Amino acid sequence: MRFGPRRVRTRLTLWYVGTLAVILAVYLAGVSLLLLWQMDGILKKLAAEDLETVKGLLYFQPDGQVGVREDYHRHSDWKQVQERLLEILAPDGTILYRNERLGNRTLGGPQFVGEGEHGYSGRTSTLSDGTPVILISRKYELEGKTVLIRAGYQQNLIWNELKGTLLVLIVASPLVFAGAAYAGYKMVGRTLDPVTKMANRAEQINSERLNERLPVESAGDELGHLATVFNSMLSRIEQSFEQLRRFTADASHELRTPLAAIRSVGEVRLQDGATPEEYRDTIGSMLEEVNRLTSIVEKLLTLSRADAGQIQMQVSVFPLKALVREAASLLEVLIEDKRLTFQLTGDENIGVEADRLYVRQAVVNILHNAVKFTPVGGTIDARVVCHGSSQAELSVHDTGPGIPACHAAKIFDRFYRVDESRTGAEVGGGLGLSISKWAVEANNGEIGVSGSSGGSTFWIRLPAVGCPPYGRHG
Amino acid sequence: MCFQGYHRIRMRILIVEDEEKMAKALRKGLEAEQFSVSVAQTGEEGFFLASTETCDLVILDWMLPQRDGIEVLAALRQKGVSVPVLILTSKDTVKDRVHGLDAGADDYLVKPFAFPELVARIRALLRRGKPESTNTLRLADLEMNVAGRVVQREGKELALTAREFDLLLYLLRNQGRVVSREMLARDVWQETARYTPLDNVIDVHIAHLRRKIDEPFRSKLLHTVRGVGFVLREETS
Repeated sequence: MRFGPRRVRTRLTLWYVGTLAVILAVYLAGVSLLLLWQMDGILKKLAAEDLETVKGLLYFQPDGQVGVREDYHRHSDWKQVQERLLEILAPDGTILYRNERLGNRTLGGPQFVGEGEHGYSGRTSTLSDGTPVILISRKYELEGKTVLIRAGYQQNLIWNELKGTLLVLIVASPLVFAGAAYAGYKMVGRTLDPVTKMANRAEQINSERLNERLPVESAGDELGHLATVFNSMLSRIEQSFEQLRRFTADASHELRTPLAAIRSVGEVRLQDGATPEEYRDTIGSMLEEVNRLTSIVEKLLTLSRADAGQIQMQVSVFPLKALVREAASLLEVLIEDKRLTFQLTGDENIGVEADRLYVRQAVVNILHNAVKFTPVGGTIDARVVCHGSSQAELSVHDTGPGIPACHAAKIFDRFYRVDESRTGAEVGGGLGLSISKWAVEANNGEIGVSGSSGGSTFWIRLPAVGCPPYGRHG
Repeated sequence: MCFQGYHRIRMRILIVEDEEKMAKALRKGLEAEQFSVSVAQTGEEGFFLASTETCDLVILDWMLPQRDGIEVLAALRQKGVSVPVLILTSKDTVKDRVHGLDAGADDYLVKPFAFPELVARIRALLRRGKPESTNTLRLADLEMNVAGRVVQREGKELALTAREFDLLLYLLRNQGRVVSREMLARDVWQETARYTPLDNVIDVHIAHLRRKIDEPFRSKLLHTVRGVGFVLREETS
């Protein structure tokens, strides 16, 4: 759930200005209080000074009243002083003097104990008509008599001054906010600029243009990191797309070859008349191609299911050597036919934990390959050993032409062919090893080939059971 | 003709298949195998024919317009129609297979299939429950004692390996009919995975068998049908 403006930029700016407003308000309030407090202090100090002056200006009139030569201070810069309120009391409470501005109002009411005896007794008070004043009082000896002088200064004068200052600040604040908003908007814009650029670029990236990358403005910061992460993701996607594209192209090519054969063989046979025997031969040849097609499609289906993770492994523990022997016996007739020597060595007790059916397929495939590429009279050497303490390894060495190192990494790729003459006869060309690779890897194993001109060695490693902790390597 | 005589009354097969070309090919092929064939092109029609007429076997396509094969099958079983049903489909996962068999199918064949395979499956379904009676199989002057695992031709005993014997046994049981490499891989080699590279192995075994049962003799019995498979039969010409 999200309210408010959609764009991050606007939202951030608003947040920014809002926060600024709150901080400013708190700041202003604090400053005002401080100012108020300070002005109060200054005023009291001034008032005390003023009181001393006033004392000097007092004199007793003949009727016992007190007079003030008030014109003396008419020229003060201080409005407070100019508008001072003055009341002079006798110790018994008799009002000896009230200045004109005070009129009939009392300044501070009855005396309290100790008022004006040890200082100025600064306080705030209100007049009878509600005017707030700062009040100070002091007892003096005047011509031998004790008098209490009270002076009041209107507090709203401070307020007025403060109000002026505040008004200026408040009137100016929209300008400040506007400025801040503008600056904030620009700043956020600058910050988000790489994001906008990334978004614009990302918009142009589709399956056809996966080679494009997001701009990385500064690799060190968060946005740069984000762009880098996206770019590496794009690389992976591009790679799998490329793989898929190549796979589709290869598959189409692979399917097209038998289709073309079926078509041309059929067309040619139909053009000229032929004997039933010839027709039979033609149809047979077409059916052979159909078988090839069927086999390719089946393998492709298996691989696509494997890719989609739809094939479940039924894991069990079984001895590897027995499985190899079983696979070899399946191909025995081919081995005999080519007068090959097949040797199987290794520990009977080495077990592997895997799906037996799929591992068997991989093993049959590897052995079949070895039989196919080993020339008549050659040798196939299969060994079952522990590879470390956790893996069992089957290696199959043949005395065939070997696989050049440059092909070794790719030989398990789909449709990969070392050269046409090597795999030309294979039905469903170049998928057998891919399926083997998948089968082994789906069982947490590894498959690989190391080859030289003296024959190639295919190896399969699978999770082992019954290998000693310090396995006899290789 | 080497046709075995146990279908003196022609067996009736109902094909439920919407694809015309496929239906036509099946009808022709099965009629050539001496079956009496009728075709329904929709699931509805198939259901109607299967529940009103008596037929000995139904070949049911899974993917049909309107009412698919599994629905038709379930409805038939619900109604108590117990005719053997063979499902044809391009769905080949184990799950699909189980689903089909659960719905009451007796067998399941994945498209594309070899025609001889279909015929073999049909015969197996029709023969179901009837015990294999013969202990001795014969074709022309070739004779096999199944229990004793002895093979003779022209009265001379032939030395076959165990695999060659099984292969010949299978061919003899299906004599006169073409068997595909797939059928041999599955039934003789018991290989379930379809892409195990067995074609070469089968071909070499066939060659060895031929060398033993045919080469020393004048008339040839084991023939290769190009693109399809092998057949054991006496050439009439």
